[in-house]
Amino acid sequence: MIQLTQETRSGWCVVNVRGRADGETADELESALRAALEQHSKVAADLGALDYISSAGLRAVLQAARAAEGKNAEFAVCALSAPVKKVFDMSGMRHVLRIHGELPC
Amino acid sequence: MLTMLEEVVLLAVDEKNGELRSTREFGTAYALVGAVFFDLALARKIDTDLETVHFIDTTPTGNATLDRVLAAMTVRRDLTTVRGWIEEIFLRRQDLEGEALASLIERGVLRHEVSKRLWIIDVERFPMADKRPQQHVKLRLAQAILTDQIPDTRDIMLVSIAEPCGLLGYVLSSAELANRRQRVEMLSNLETISRTVAAAILNLDASLRQTMTKVV
Repeated sequence: MIQLTQETRSGWCVVNVRGRADGETADELESALRAALEQHSKVAADLGALDYISSAGLRAVLQAARAAEGKNAEFAVCALSAPVKKVFDMSGMRHVLRIHGELPC
Repeated sequence: MLTMLEEVVLLAVDEKNGELRSTREFGTAYALVGAVFFDLALARKIDTDLETVHFIDTTPTGNATLDRVLAAMTVRRDLTTVRGWIEEIFLRRQDLEGEALASLIERGVLRHEVSKRLWIIDVERFPMADKRPQQHVKLRLAQAILTDQIPDTRDIMLVSIAEPCGLLGYVLSSAELANRRQRVEMLSNLETISRTVAAAILNLDASLRQTMTKVV
C-alpha cells in the first residue's frame, strides 16, 4: 500500500510518499515521480513517511532520477525515515542521487 | 528481447571463434543464478530487500527456465533469504547455461557446431549467426560504465552480474576498467541480488583457496 500526494513549495514540486514502496507499488511510485517531472523542473520525493522500500522501490526512485537527468530537471530525495535510510546507505544510493536530510525548499 | 540470463551467456561467447569462455566455472554459475533472479524481478514475480525474497506473483512467465526456477521457489516457503535462495538455486541449477544457449540458437543469434580435437574429443562452438545482439549488450555495458549518467535498470543489473564473474574484461580494456573501477563498484552495489552473488563468489574463492592450501 502506498499513498502519494503532491504539493508545490518555493518552486519545488514535492511528492510525499507514505507507506511501502515494493514490487506491488513500485510502478505507481515511478509513474507519480515521472508525472511530476513532466510538469516541473524541480522535483523532490519526501520519503519521511515511507516505512519500507524494497529493491523494486529503489529501482523506481532511480529510474525517476534517470528521467530527470534526461530532461535536465532537478531531482532530490529528502527526509528519509530510518528504515529507508538504512536501505539507501547499504545500496550506496548517495553516490547516484541527491539526498537531503530536509526538504530543499 | 533477450532475458538477462541469455545476455550474460551471450557475453561469454567469443565473437571471433564461437568458443565459450569458462562459463562452466562456479563463479559464473553463481552469476547465472543471479541473472535468473533478476529476470524474475523484471517479470515482477519476486522482489527483494536487504535480506529477504518476497513473491509478488507466482503465475508462469512463459519462459521455461524462469518458470522451472519459480516453481521450485514457490514450494519452499521456508526459505526466505536472498542468500539462502541463491545457494539453493545454485545447487539445483541444472544447466542454466545450456538452456540459454539453446534459446539463443533457436532465436537465430548463435549457431551450434561440434568438431573433433585430436580425432576423439568433441569440441562445441557457438559462432555468431547474428552479431548485433552481442554488440548491443556490449554497447549498453560500455555506456553504463564509461558515462556518468544513471543507467537503465536492466543495464545496472547487467553490469552488476557481469562484474563478479569477470565478463566485463571482454567488453572494456583493462585500462578502461581500472579507470572506471569506482563506477563499476557503485553500480554493482545498488542491487541486493548482485551484492549477494558477489559475496557468494568471494566465499567460494576463499573456500577453494583454503582447499588448495590444504592439498599443497
